Amino acid sequence: MHLVLVGLSHKTAPVAIREKLTFPAQVQEDALNHLSRIEGIREAVIVSTCNRTEVYAVAANEDAGVDSVIGFLADYHDLDRHELARYLYIITGETVVRHLFRVVASLDSMVVGEAQILGQAKEAYEHGFNADATGRVFNKLFRQSFEVGKRVRTETAIGEAAVSISYAAVELAKKVFDTLDGRTILILGAGKMSELTAKHLVSNGVARVLVVNRTFERAREMAERFNGTAVPYERLYESIREADIVISSTAATEYVITKAELAPVAKNRTRPLFLIDIAVPRDIDPGANDLGGVFLYDIDDLNGVVESNLEERMTEAHRAEGIIDEEIAAFFAWVESMEVMPTVAAIRAKAEVIREMELEKALKRLDLSDVDRKTVEALTCAIVNKMLHGPTARLKKAATGKDAYEYMEVARALYGLEDSEDRSGPGAFRNLLNLRAREIMDRRKETEDNVGDCGA
Amino acid sequence: MTEVAFVAFWLAMALYAAATVLYGYQAFTKRASLSWFATFATGAGFVLHTASIGLQSTATDGTELTGANVLVLMAWALVLVYFVLEHLMKVKFYGALLVPGALVVLLVAQIMGASRGVLADLTAEQAALLDNWRIGIHVALIAFGNAGFAVSAAGSLLYVVMERQLKHKKASKLFNRLPSLTQTDKVARRSVVWAFPVYSAGLVLGVLRAIETDVHLWWADLRVVLAGLVWLIFAFYQFMRWRKGWAGRSAAYLCLAGFALVVVLAIAARTVPAGFHVFGL
Repeated sequence: MHLVLVGLSHKTAPVAIREKLTFPAQVQEDALNHLSRIEGIREAVIVSTCNRTEVYAVAANEDAGVDSVIGFLADYHDLDRHELARYLYIITGETVVRHLFRVVASLDSMVVGEAQILGQAKEAYEHGFNADATGRVFNKLFRQSFEVGKRVRTETAIGEAAVSISYAAVELAKKVFDTLDGRTILILGAGKMSELTAKHLVSNGVARVLVVNRTFERAREMAERFNGTAVPYERLYESIREADIVISSTAATEYVITKAELAPVAKNRTRPLFLIDIAVPRDIDPGANDLGGVFLYDIDDLNGVVESNLEERMTEAHRAEGIIDEEIAAFFAWVESMEVMPTVAAIRAKAEVIREMELEKALKRLDLSDVDRKTVEALTCAIVNKMLHGPTARLKKAATGKDAYEYMEVARALYGLEDSEDRSGPGAFRNLLNLRAREIMDRRKETEDNVGDCGA
Repeated sequence: MTEVAFVAFWLAMALYAAATVLYGYQAFTKRASLSWFATFATGAGFVLHTASIGLQSTATDGTELTGANVLVLMAWALVLVYFVLEHLMKVKFYGALLVPGALVVLLVAQIMGASRGVLADLTAEQAALLDNWRIGIHVALIAFGNAGFAVSAAGSLLYVVMERQLKHKKASKLFNRLPSLTQTDKVARRSVVWAFPVYSAGLVLGVLRAIETDVHLWWADLRVVLAGLVWLIFAFYQFMRWRKGWAGRSAAYLCLAGFALVVVLAIAARTVPAGFHVFGL
């Protein structure tokens, strides 16, 4: 098995190149069919988002696999292969697993911790699965990557804090009001940024929108977009009384809301007032923040919150790397268990355990001389060896074929090499046998001894 | 039976200690799996705590209202009130403050129990005073009232911290974990709304009993004076909130002051050996 990844992302290619190399949902099946037909490509998945296009493949040969995938990308999109190669990264072997896990965990995203990538990777895998382009390796690898994504999101705080100005404003509003359901916002000025922030607030439950602008007509236009109410500029402070959140973004060069004029409004309030000033120069007197129950955030404050949140995400990303290391180890333990030699060794070790146990039972019942004992022992060894010779030889031969993993899995199931989840009855006995077989295998590894008493 | 009660008591403390660590850890990491274990440990501790009180009460033919035992009841009431809060508000952050609070109260009770006397040391006048159903209810109501004040103090404390973080624009890890300003204020307000009448009823029963048994200068007892002050502070708090629309920082500070007096009263009630209200010191 050779894992191969060829792709490009926001880190290696400008949008002008990325947009040429996308695989939208409607072409995925066709692209995967093309890819699967290439000689030496056994499994394939194409992850295509606005920031990355990556082709994951299991290839018979590493170099040939890389070459085939690059050729496929260039041919499918009718691009110059050499020109395209400048923007591509090529990852092979174990590093592919780490890369995929990092991608799905959103550690490789433009905004670390964003949640979309997990869904996009799931969608990509589903396309591969439906197109019959995935097999044992990718079924296991991608499903495990989704577990990684879930673990990282639940066990770390990587996706919690907002990392854009408008979302930071929404998050802060929630820190003040808990929920925005039923709240009233006042938009002061008609800037694009205040409109975007207001949109986020409305989508988070704000019930009522008031718009104040020096030009009443513009206030009315914006109010219509939010199904809100336009208020004459002269009634600004009256409107603040009604509002829970004020978003200010006017082009005024002086403070539009002063501490002195806001003080009487703040004094009679029973609920907090959250002021978001995203104008430069500022619209709201910074002294307003000193008033009881008033919380004022200007553009620098919001930037500070975003930066601080990004720092926290980086700290959490470090923790996420630990989770990825654990999952990589688990994946390669599975891969190793699917390799032919460990499987054959496990079958032989298990047979050896059974042979020893049965021999011990039989010898207890028989009163044999040393010579006879050795003869019986040799007999059991011969039976075990002859019984296993055929299956193990065929397994070794199958290991070089396309269906190697299916063979290994069937062999492991037939010989009961995986521990049973059933902790009692036959399941417990099987686990005990496997445990003893593993002990035998470990002993052999330690002593570099080729085989046990029976030799094979 | 006393031995079983003793073991149950210590196991309950161990579980509360485990819950304290888990609540604290989950408050800073927001790990849902840990919060389940925290609630489980508190619940299991509460069951053992209840069993311990029941067994001890059976062994001594009724719960002796000594200073230490009353503290054990107060801790029990605090955990019960916390469970109600967790169920209603669906927020576990308060567990990081209230469960360790209950644990500290139990530890103090344990230390007191080992060093202080029992009700057998009471004077005839004190024993007569206690010999009435009203006293049991008086103690229970005061315990639940205090538990409610403790919850409101936790809410007020978090309000003050959160308000400070918001005013200083600190988006620290703590900031991201704290409950919202409005919610902390709501917890403080509602807890007092609930605890104040309970506490008032407890005081009324105590006063009625003191008048009934004609205790000389009962109103001059230090504990009665302090309890009266606690009542006045929370009455003022209620009045300002409901009549004057008080909210925010001032209300939070007043609530914290009221609870600080509750703590002073709890200490005085168990350390100052003067007045009629000195049971089991």
